[in-house]
Formats: sequence, structure tokens, C-alpha cells
Amino acid sequence: MKDASSAAVGFAGLSHLGIVSSLAAAARGFEVIAFDPRGGWCGELNAGRLPVREPGLDELFQQHRGRVLYTASLADLARCGLIFLSLDVATDDDNRSDTAPVRELIGQVAGQAGRETAVVVLSQVPPGFSRRMGRENFFYQVETLVFGNAVERALQPERFIIGCADPRAPLPEAYVRFLAAFGCPVLRMRYESAELAKIAINCFLASSVSTSNMLAEICERIGADWGEMIPALRLDRRIGPHAYLSPGLGIAGGNLERDLATVEALAAEYGADGGPAAAWLRNSAWRRDWALRLLHAKGLLARPGAVLAVWGLAYKPETHSTKNSPALALLDAIGAVGGSRVQAFDPAVTLEAGRYPRAVGCGSPLEAAGGADALILITPWKEFLGAPLEEVKKAMRGSLLLDPYGLLDRATAEGLGFEYHRLGAGRLSADASA
Amino acid sequence: MLTHLLERPEKPSRAVILGAQGFVARNLAEVLERDQIGCRRVGRGEVDLTAPGAAEKLAGILAPSDAVVMTSALTPDKGRDPATLMLNLRMAEAVGAAMLPGRCAQLVYVSSDAVYDWRSPLIHEESSAEPLDLYAVMHIARERMLGHCCGAARIPYAVVRPCAIYGAGDTHNSYGPNRFLRTARAEGKIRLFGEGEEQRDHVWVRDVAEILKLCLLHRSTGVVNAVSGKSVSFREAAERIAPLAGRAVQIELAPRGSPVTHRHFDITSLARAFPAFQPTPLAQGLAQMAAAMSRVL
Repeated sequence: MKDASSAAVGFAGLSHLGIVSSLAAAARGFEVIAFDPRGGWCGELNAGRLPVREPGLDELFQQHRGRVLYTASLADLARCGLIFLSLDVATDDDNRSDTAPVRELIGQVAGQAGRETAVVVLSQVPPGFSRRMGRENFFYQVETLVFGNAVERALQPERFIIGCADPRAPLPEAYVRFLAAFGCPVLRMRYESAELAKIAINCFLASSVSTSNMLAEICERIGADWGEMIPALRLDRRIGPHAYLSPGLGIAGGNLERDLATVEALAAEYGADGGPAAAWLRNSAWRRDWALRLLHAKGLLARPGAVLAVWGLAYKPETHSTKNSPALALLDAIGAVGGSRVQAFDPAVTLEAGRYPRAVGCGSPLEAAGGADALILITPWKEFLGAPLEEVKKAMRGSLLLDPYGLLDRATAEGLGFEYHRLGAGRLSADASA
Repeated sequence: MLTHLLERPEKPSRAVILGAQGFVARNLAEVLERDQIGCRRVGRGEVDLTAPGAAEKLAGILAPSDAVVMTSALTPDKGRDPATLMLNLRMAEAVGAAMLPGRCAQLVYVSSDAVYDWRSPLIHEESSAEPLDLYAVMHIARERMLGHCCGAARIPYAVVRPCAIYGAGDTHNSYGPNRFLRTARAEGKIRLFGEGEEQRDHVWVRDVAEILKLCLLHRSTGVVNAVSGKSVSFREAAERIAPLAGRAVQIELAPRGSPVTHRHFDITSLARAFPAFQPTPLAQGLAQMAAAMSRVL
């Protein structure tokens, strides 16, 4: 029988979260066994190739992969005193979760692990899920992975939020030892509180995003500049220096949307007012289509042969994820019955062949801009910062420049003859746009 | 939102327009004829949709490949009372009863933005329908009645909800561009309530006809708002109309009876459904209206 306090730490389900979390555990000195029944990613990782993109992950992988065994064999988890389930929970087009694969994985892992082995779910599960599992030594730990900042957050978490069957009962020794290695506060609570805490965090983020987007739009209409206002808000203690205040093209990526859908479902089930969540989602859809409305207002969707250059397909920089991406929503709209076509470039995402009949993928931003009537910088990749505007202008046929995140210098762009638009910044001589 | 059963536009073998003498119907017929789409207008003289046996009469006219557009309605100027409501519902009952399997290829119902909650400043197709008067009740009830019948008969069904329509030949005289141009031409005056601050979306009747035509060409199903996507104040509309009257026009202000409300429309769904459709700017539409009215006189 293994000694739970010194045994290996297991991860079951090699998602983006699983890969990052397992390497963070290895970086803290633990021997890690990372299991995935699909096998494919294990092969990639054992061959030294990372299947996901994340700043700092390459270095973390190179430094600590020696302490990680990637395996498709469930039996290898038998050596673990602590097993995390890190499977990604897929969502459908309505952002509803499918937790069946997580339940199945829990069944597999529980069959392998002894009663003394602590099993901890990191996957995004709805309130009530953990209690229904009815297993001893079973915990839910809130994960707050942020694509693009996952490594830093995994190595230096702000806190651990642990859902327990009974928060007064002590945690298993192996779990305590693991948590202590990260040196941050540990907040124990009942399962339901922890499960809802995860959703609460995302609701507050969604409310900040939506509030920022609502006010940024009003800025555009009245000639104010949201960028000038942000420092004032950050200095307000009730809002804070880290608040989500940058305007954007709605909520994307799937996590916030999933949690808002869960809140709406819970509110409906229990007769609570879920109206704010519905309003945030509506505002998100409205802002997502900012570029579409501008292109429509400029007549570019109607013009036969019009060419639109789209820079960025991922839902945000430093990720290959396109879940609910505003760029793909734009391509979908154009791909229906419009007269225009798209030339797209993204540093990490390749256009799915045949999915967007009016769009072609390009090898560089400049190639995408070639002959275009409008350029839309829809994902704020750092690769687009300070793009050579003179060259871009020469390559293009038209002069419409949609730069929602303000990656390019407005004055320079306008000096070159671009008609420039960005989020949150109106003109005092307001030409109300989209 | 709309779903197109025909991704590539395809002319229906014939469009049957119910409510032949109406403002929208006449414009739709002209647009369809211009684009060489066969069209049959069915007026009250031929089939009185409120009369017994109307469904059978209508059924006798329809062919399985016909696309039907229902524009017929007793508008608020004909009455806002329960009796008018019931007559309007009877029309929908008759049309719905004619919608048997295989009877036609599509039904498009011309509804109204009146179905929406007036407290919503930004309207989209998923905004809650909350009819405040019997005219709005009529439209939402007819939408549902026809939807029920088309669903049972598996006939593709679309609802088009225009905002305030303007254009030459409108018989209505509600507060807005049509009345403004009439009084400007006849009396040299445009009367505004308050300062005319309320912002509204005004759509040109030809644009409504174009949207209806596109619904037919794509055999669309679902709901779409027929709007310009750009709201202006009544004051701005009046100022744009005054120079088109052909005489000196004074804009008069009268005390308002209700608080200022604004209404804007999210055009995204329309743009997604028909990216190649571009609404006519208000100035251009008003000029066309004024020119057409001058030709009539």
C-alpha cells in the first residue's frame, strides 16, 4: 500500500488546464503522473511537443517535464495519493455544459484509486455536481485558468478555494501537503459554495466587461474617450487596479458564457432573478457585432467583390481557442449571402478548410491586407502592434480601418488617409457610427 | 432571426399578395414586377378575408409553388376597438385555414414593430413582445395564429416587422414623415410635440418591399425587423422634410402629452440575413417620397 503523504500527484484529463496544472505541480517538486485515456496528447507530450499554446509554458515544460509521466494507462494512477480531474467540460452552442465525460472519468479514476486517495475535481461543474457524486475523500477545487496568463496563475495562485462534503473535517494529508507547496490562502467551504464561488467570480468579471463595453459605446457616441477614464476608475477602491475595464468585442472564450448560462438555468429552476446575466449576454452579442454593423453601414457587405482583411481569428491573443470568437462570428455573417470576401491571418489559428466559403487564410498580415477595402484588427495580438501602416495602406485598395483595441496609432493612420474606428473613443464632432 | 431555406436566391414561381390595395402591397408588387417575379394581388373585392368561406376562396387561388405575402390588415386609422381587432383576427383565421399541407411554398406575414415593449430603447428580434394596444395585440396574435397553422402544415413561415414606414401613397396620417410632408405642402407647417426630441427609426416603404422580396427569394423562415437601423429625432425629420415641400415651411411646437421616449433598432440580424441589402438613408428616401408626391399632384 502506498504512503499517501509521499506518493505521486495524479492528473486525469489532459486539457489545457491539465497540462498547465500538472507542470505547475512538477515545478513545486511533486512527482506527477498525467493520465489521458485518449492517448494522443500523451504521445505528443512524451515526444516533447506541447499541444497547447500558452506564454511561458514551453519553458515550464522544458524545465519540469522530467518529473511528469504522461500515460494513457489508468493503472499508473494507482501510485498516486492525490488525483486531480482536469478534463475540460465541453459546451454546446448555447453554452450548456456536458458533464457526462467528467462523470465517466470520475468513475474510472475512483475504480483505480483506493479509499484513502483524495480525488479533486478541477473541471468546471455546476452547483450540486460534487454532492451528487457521494464519494468519500472527494473535493472540488475552483480553477480560474486564464488563457494567456495560465502559467503565472498556476504557479502563483491568489488562493485555493476548496469545496468539501464537510468543511469542518480536516483535508487529507496528501492534499494539505500539495496546497502548502504554493504558499497561498486556502479557503475551505461546502461543495455548493465552492461551485458557486467559481461562477460568482465569472459573473463579476462579466459584469465588469459588460459595464465597460456599455460605457465605452456611449463614449463613442458622445465624443468621450473611455481610455482617458480608465485610470480614474482604477484609482477608485471600490473598482480597483485589476478590474476588467478594457472595452472589447463582448464576452468570448466559453468560460464566462458557460457560467452565465448556468446562472440563468439556476435562476429559472429556483425562481430567482437571472435578468442581469441575460442582459450581459445580450450586451456581449451586441458588441461582438460592432465590426459587422460598421461594415454594413459603410456598404461593404453589399458591394460585390469587396475584400475584407481580418487580422486575428482567436477569441483573444496568446491562444489558439476560437470559442465564441468575434472574428468567426463575422466570418459566419459574411459567409451567408453577402457579396464580400475575407482574407484572414492569425498567428495561431488556421481557418478550418471549407467552413467559411468566402474566406481564405493568409500567411502574413500584409498578405491578408493585399487589395482589401477594409482592414479589421479583430484580435489584439501583440504581433499587430505598430504594424507598418504605410505598407499596409499601399497594399490595400480601400481605406477603412477598424482597430477596436487601439493597436495602431490613430493620428498616423488618419494622416495616411485611413478612416479609423476604435472602441470607446468618440469624436467630439461625433459621427455616430455602428 | 431568419434562416434561409434557399442559400442562393431563387424566384418563386408566383407571389400572391394579400391586401392588394395597401401601401406595402402596392410597393411590393411594383418591386416584384420590376424584377420580373410573377405576382398576383388579391384584394378585398376578390376575397373578403373577414367573410365566411374566405379560406376556401383563397385556397382556390393558391398553387403549391406560390409564395404568399399577407399584408392585409385594418390599420389603426380604421379603428382601434375590439371589433376591429376581431375582424383582423378573422382575416388571419381565414388565411391560416387555407394553409394546408402542400397548399403553398411559403407564407410571409407583414407584422409591425408595435408588438415590442415600448420601454425598450434598443430593439432586436429577440426583444420581448409586449403589445400595449389592440393593434399590437392583433399583430402578435396573428403572428402566432399563422405560425401555428404553417407549423402544422409544414409551410415555411417568416414574419417581417417594419418600424414606422414612410413613402408616397401612404394612406395613414400618423405623427411622422408622411404627415409632416402633407402638412408642409398643404399648410406650410409642420407641428412637433415638445421640441420633437423623440428619436425613431423610419423605414422607406421601398426598403420594406425589398426585404419582403429577399425573404421570398431565399424562402426565409423566422422573424426579422424591417428597419433602417438609424434613428433620428422628429425634429431632424421635420427639418429634412421642410425644404422638400416646395414652399416656405414653419416648424411649430405644441405641448407634449407624454414623456420623451426614444427607440432604436439593432440592425445586426437584418445585416446578417441580407448583407447585400443596404437601407436607404432617410434624406434619400424622403426626397424620393417628395418627388413621387409631386408627380401625383
